[in-house]
Amino acid sequence: MAFISSGYNPDKPMEDRITDIGPRKYDEFYPSVIAKNKGKWSHHEILEAGVIVHVAESGDEVYTVRVGGCRLMTTTHLEEICQIADKHCDGHVRFTTRNNVEFMVDSKDKVEPLKNDLASRIFSGGSQKFPIGGTGAGITNIVHTQGWIHCHTPATDASGTVKATMDEVFEDFQSMRLPAKLRISMACCLNMCGAVHCSDIAILGYHRKPPMLDHEYLDKICEIPLAIKACPTAAIRPAKTKLADGTEVKTVAVKNERCMFCGNCYTMCPSMPLADTEGDGIVLMAGGKVSNRISHPKFSKVVVAFIPNDMPRWPSMTDAIKKMINAYSNGANKYERLGDWAERIGWEKFFEVCELDFSHHLIDDFRQQAYMSWRQSTQFKF
Amino acid sequence: MSELLSNKELANKTVVDFLKKKEKTKTKFYFNDLCKLFPDDKPRQIKKIINVMVTDEILEYWSSGSTTMYGLKGAGKQAAAEGEK
Amino acid sequence: MAKHKTPLLDQLESGPWPSFVSDLKHQAEVRAKNEEGIEFQIPQDCVEDLLGVLELSYKHGRTHWKHGGIVGVFGYGGGVIGRYCDQPALFPGVEHFHTMRVSQPAGKYYTTEYLRNIMKLWDLRGSGVTNMHGSTGDIILLGTTTPQLEEIFYELTHNLNQDLGGSGSNLRTPADCLGSSRCEYACYDSQALCHFLTNEYQDELHRPAFPYKFKFKFDACPNGCVASIARSDMSFIGTWKDDIQIDQDAVNKYVENDSAYPSNAGAHKNRDWGPFDIQKEVINLCPTGCMSFENKQLTIDNANCTRCMHCINTMPRALKPGKEKGCSILCGAKAPILDGAQMGSLLVPFVEVNPDNDYQAITEVIENIWDWWMEEGNNRERLGELIMRQGFQRLLEVTGIKAAPQHVQYPRTNPYIFWKEEEVPGGWERDVEEYRKHHLR
Repeated sequence: MAFISSGYNPDKPMEDRITDIGPRKYDEFYPSVIAKNKGKWSHHEILEAGVIVHVAESGDEVYTVRVGGCRLMTTTHLEEICQIADKHCDGHVRFTTRNNVEFMVDSKDKVEPLKNDLASRIFSGGSQKFPIGGTGAGITNIVHTQGWIHCHTPATDASGTVKATMDEVFEDFQSMRLPAKLRISMACCLNMCGAVHCSDIAILGYHRKPPMLDHEYLDKICEIPLAIKACPTAAIRPAKTKLADGTEVKTVAVKNERCMFCGNCYTMCPSMPLADTEGDGIVLMAGGKVSNRISHPKFSKVVVAFIPNDMPRWPSMTDAIKKMINAYSNGANKYERLGDWAERIGWEKFFEVCELDFSHHLIDDFRQQAYMSWRQSTQFKF
Repeated sequence: MSELLSNKELANKTVVDFLKKKEKTKTKFYFNDLCKLFPDDKPRQIKKIINVMVTDEILEYWSSGSTTMYGLKGAGKQAAAEGEK
Repeated sequence: MAKHKTPLLDQLESGPWPSFVSDLKHQAEVRAKNEEGIEFQIPQDCVEDLLGVLELSYKHGRTHWKHGGIVGVFGYGGGVIGRYCDQPALFPGVEHFHTMRVSQPAGKYYTTEYLRNIMKLWDLRGSGVTNMHGSTGDIILLGTTTPQLEEIFYELTHNLNQDLGGSGSNLRTPADCLGSSRCEYACYDSQALCHFLTNEYQDELHRPAFPYKFKFKFDACPNGCVASIARSDMSFIGTWKDDIQIDQDAVNKYVENDSAYPSNAGAHKNRDWGPFDIQKEVINLCPTGCMSFENKQLTIDNANCTRCMHCINTMPRALKPGKEKGCSILCGAKAPILDGAQMGSLLVPFVEVNPDNDYQAITEVIENIWDWWMEEGNNRERLGELIMRQGFQRLLEVTGIKAAPQHVQYPRTNPYIFWKEEEVPGGWERDVEEYRKHHLR
């Protein structure tokens, strides 16, 4: 392949350089019905799972058909989205915060042809390209992180756990039968570049082994002070060791019992890898929310301390998730979020009805907030 | 702005001398570490001078993805280890 | 014919949910055929190798990527994340496979023309694999080589009027809900504010000088669709000060179970919950008990309303937020690492969102906070942790905001107040001899 220059001159990087221009302005991309009625919307209605109408004060309507999208998406798939948007939506399309894709049309008669077109598109492997749903009291798309496809510290895969879970809860993506909306989020290590700590159900990748030390190469590849500084719990100190051939090398020592398995040292120093087949797996958390509706926003709680990675479909993980959803669906009142339901019945009942084991790992022992989670009362259920 | 920071030559020298002195053990520093060289100035002013040193190709950034550090251009073991230089 | 066998990934092609594996395989085929005759600037088979290395991770249960410190294009300290494969001999197509973050438009609306321009550039100079979008909000271009970074940036800025997003110790690309563009609940124009601040603080976004990452997110109402209260160092949540607007006729339509007025805007349609009961579903669930419905008249004691949105969400054709709108500012949210998770704590109960004076009231708060955090923040200390370390009172001090009961859930439960000398009449310097005149040794 021949190198094609963009016009950039590497010898003079500042020549003709354009910087600090920011993103494109949002209103360049509005469909005309949006541009016309912005700030003047009267009300909306979810007509069926995945189909919403917004009615403007002017009487104008916009019909939105929401479909599940993969965060990991190729240009081939994007091109197909563009073709649909050109055919039905005057070349406009929108993405949601939760990786859904929204196709908007400005009259009701355009909805059915759009829906039929979307539903007819199937991947060669059999999965749907554009499943319609993700609205109201159901389960919408899972927001997630990078995982094994592109990250250096994940304890599990992101796209795969999400695909496995969405396949299992698919019915609730396309229906609105739950007591309230249920949000699932996924982060592939405890750094949580996708913050999952306030989700109804959170899937979290977790390492359980401290880093290995590649003594022979450590000082050659890494700057030891940086590796030491990278550790959030100050578990790493400089050390010297003798290799098998007798040479003494500079290296580090890790106080293993202080390690919280974050992988920050590996980021700074490739000679400290921590990924491990048996050590790594999944933590499940539940009961968080971000909305201020009825109750305050709240954090998710750890409800399953560890599930081994079981590729490619993580059946123990999806099983535990389904148990929680079913118990919630059967037990909660209308409008009650999963965390509100768990608090009303009591967490001791939550474990009972969800058929989840309780172990000592689920009792907080991390710093000051731990005390707040213990029970300072004689009120509890047997 | 202090006299030290407003004198470009002197400011550059202060930063370069500091980094050279440390080079044997460490080649990358947080912005805060550089701020300590200019105790009489506000971080937002120091930032302007430091960033000019990057476009002047004296310094370069190094990122862990979540945190960014500064070092002398080309210094350090990582650059070689990553096979880019 | 696929370059690598992927028996584990193949099992993720079945089932109803869109399969990223099928998508990647399709992409690999399209690149192999290259019907458009693209002069690929990175290995043509990189997507094959990407599938291969992912399959290996599924086999090992371990990642095969290493981090790289490369940060961005010349003069920028963010926008690029360096990635290297730890099995380059097996998968040479992804040996160097960096990510670029492209600053997304507020609200995430697109034209197909714009998307195609990005795709064309990315097919030529990268893998054609993207994230639409990353967790923070950027368009993520996943996988290119170092020499292409400047070329892509040049084309983005010169041909697409488009800049990179943030990474590292920068202001990260701000993100918002779709707000008033298509939602009647919006209490301010989240897109306008998001876009303004993104541009106002381009220097902070591209040139790192913060102790750590810093995020802005904008929710136009307390429903919080972009989760700003959980995910951003500064969270701007729309709210109002005056009375909820009531259309009594519409309230009664809901009460009568009129089919044009489905409760909760139809969000519960697929289960029979029985007819809508305003007493049970609205009045009794109001967290402050400030509502009543008698003689076909809904009454709200607005002085006791905490604007949770439940009644408005449940009867959207009858109730609307008030007219005196603005936003609340909450500070310090972060994921658990290191000292535990934090949600945003309320700093500014209400501020006007006024584009006519360039949102002065908001930028003033932001800049005061940055000055404090840049001076006092430890390396890799998020704003929420600095607030914990130095105290919420210090946050009020640096922002010049007067303490109010709205700032707390409840007052402190210990009396250990660190009184300052100037707060105590006469100060701390005392004459012990004078004291001894009345108190023997």
